Amino acid sequence: MPIILLDDPDSTLAMLRDSVATLGARADGAATFRRRRAAAVDLDPETWASMAAAGWAGLVLPEAAGGMGLGAAELVALAEALGRALLTEPFSTLAVFPSVLLGALDADIDALAEALIGGAVLPVLWQGLRGEVRPLALADGRLTGEAHLVPGAQSAQVFLVLAEEAGEPVLVSVEAASAGLRVHSRPGIDGATLGSVVLHDAVAGPVLARGAAVTDAFDQAIRMTRLALAAELAGIASRALEITVDYTSNRVQFAKTIASFQAVQHRLVDMWAEAEFACSSVANAATLADQPAAFAQAVLAAKARAGDAATAITRKAVHLHGAMGFTDQCDIGLYLKRAIALNATLGQPEELRLAFLDAERAA
Amino acid sequence: MHPEQQDWNALSDEDFRAIFRDWVDANCPAHLRFMRKQRPVFDEVAEWYHALARKGWLSPVWPQEWGGMGLNAAKHIVYVEEWARLGCPRIPDHGIGLTGPLLIEFGTPEQKDFFLPRILSGEHVWCQGYSEPNAGSDLASLRTSAVREGDEFVINGQKIWTTLAHCANWILLLARTDKDAPKPQNGITVLLVDLTSPGVVVRPIPNLREEADFCEVFLDDVRVPAKNVVGQVNGGWALAKAVLGHERIFLGAPSRPEYALTRLEMLAEDRGAFDDPAFRSRYAKLRLDLYDLGSAFERFAKVLREGGTLGADVSVLKLFCSELYQRITEETLAVAGEEARFYDDLPVGSGHVDAMNLFLDARAPAIFGGSNEIQRNILSKAVLGLPSR
Repeated sequence: MPIILLDDPDSTLAMLRDSVATLGARADGAATFRRRRAAAVDLDPETWASMAAAGWAGLVLPEAAGGMGLGAAELVALAEALGRALLTEPFSTLAVFPSVLLGALDADIDALAEALIGGAVLPVLWQGLRGEVRPLALADGRLTGEAHLVPGAQSAQVFLVLAEEAGEPVLVSVEAASAGLRVHSRPGIDGATLGSVVLHDAVAGPVLARGAAVTDAFDQAIRMTRLALAAELAGIASRALEITVDYTSNRVQFAKTIASFQAVQHRLVDMWAEAEFACSSVANAATLADQPAAFAQAVLAAKARAGDAATAITRKAVHLHGAMGFTDQCDIGLYLKRAIALNATLGQPEELRLAFLDAERAA
Repeated sequence: MHPEQQDWNALSDEDFRAIFRDWVDANCPAHLRFMRKQRPVFDEVAEWYHALARKGWLSPVWPQEWGGMGLNAAKHIVYVEEWARLGCPRIPDHGIGLTGPLLIEFGTPEQKDFFLPRILSGEHVWCQGYSEPNAGSDLASLRTSAVREGDEFVINGQKIWTTLAHCANWILLLARTDKDAPKPQNGITVLLVDLTSPGVVVRPIPNLREEADFCEVFLDDVRVPAKNVVGQVNGGWALAKAVLGHERIFLGAPSRPEYALTRLEMLAEDRGAFDDPAFRSRYAKLRLDLYDLGSAFERFAKVLREGGTLGADVSVLKLFCSELYQRITEETLAVAGEEARFYDDLPVGSGHVDAMNLFLDARAPAIFGGSNEIQRNILSKAVLGLPSR
């Protein structure tokens, strides 16, 4: 079955995959998904704490800041395994994004890094309701404005905030408990709420970075987070395929398994091919991490490919489960919902492909 | 061993690439580059064939003791990539890619001594006699018969879709030697047949591109010496399957869709199609499909470079590649608009785009080498392990 093939000379990747599988066996991703959904919260505190305890919150945070300082290959292996295990806590957006953002700064991030590594939730406020970049206003050390599509908004201890001061981008933090800060939540399709955060004259922490350093840090954070999302999507795609092969190979109609029918077989082969391509596209990106221009393009390709593959495969998987696939009780629907959510995070395939084309044609 | 031969596998891929590319670029005639025709006949490319033969580079994977370069899979990939990148024409290569490797592995010493040098010299031009009118995807049901009479086999039957038979003088033939075999696969024999023998008639079949590159071959009481059997009588099926080793990766090499996309881009630039957001969107999808085909090809090439062997899963490349080639050429016809009514090439700037030629050419790869539906049948069993009942 498709897997993201990467060199693993010292077995680090195998260890990461094993530890995810161990947590997956203990935490039961599907049950956690449903429990979190029923509670209308943004993450499952127990699972999140286990992930932080395993060191994953700081996986890509530089060692100098107390993180594990691991690279693209390790990130991909871990995220793929999370996808396979249906461990749906917001790893990419709440561990990878703030880690890369903070790690890219030339500032004192020790306290924030320590909190992050310890399992604190540090969402980043930077997007408007349609996903566009939308800085808040910073004046006299106070923040005003609103941010949307915020993961972990209910559980947050501290928000990292993209703001604008005197026409220049700045990055600051703000305590979640600050006066003048309110959170509204809406249910997300993957069983975790998404927040809107409204600030009115809320007191900000010291400025962490300014100007080009801020945009550069965001570029890096978006890129690595997209890579993690792509890997997770590839993992979801492969696992949903396996589940569907298993189901159709056991479901009997007309005295034969439905997987013995050619119409079903060819569908499954096409799903397998989509998953194979998703995996090789993500592997390609991971191996280009040290070549900035090529890496940027490869990540766009990988996120687009894996997003298309995971959403298409899980849709077809639901169909191939028949009426059973349409029930909330059947886990395959959870893979579909998770795939839709991750595919829609940080750019859908069409947008990413056009960005790839624009960059290539501008070169 | 050829005087210019060396241990190519000891070089880095980059060094080998540079050496190979420099010589090919300097020696492959300009008028043969990026030929409109996919399968030129021998006479059209004879000078290139002989130049390669003189250099000792005609046959990349044969062992050096038989006049080949002895390339491993990794270096062979470089060879094929550079060949495509420089737009070298395909040469009639059934002798090099099919008969040669079969004889090297299964042939008698006499067969090797006689046939291999004649392939390298261009004296023998081979074709592949497998398919029959009622044995295409179901090849094992073939009926062309070979009946033993003394020291000879007498052959009767018909082959079809025999690529370049009209300019070949030898055919590698699969024939039925046991009509009563419990499994049809077990009654098939490989024979080396001289096409100039009495009783052979070759008739070209014009294809969709209005060219003759495949043929019918009629065999009427054709007498073939028994020493021209390769391997065991009735043991031909295993041989026919054995020759396709790492070469299966090349059925999915991105070179055809890559070339087609450059033509689409040229036409689209010239006709202003990139100003149309709908076209940009479709083009971006094709571009990324090609990019990801490269990543998928690399995933399998890496297995070969590390000394591994390919499984049935490699045919995912063939599926994707052939279907992408079709989609690109379909888009090219769409961009051509009313001009898609022309059969000849479309003028763009100072050059031409062979939109219709590519569109028609792209119909074939989804059929040859095992139709894409057969590939899906195989993958469903060999990779997904799906049940038969």
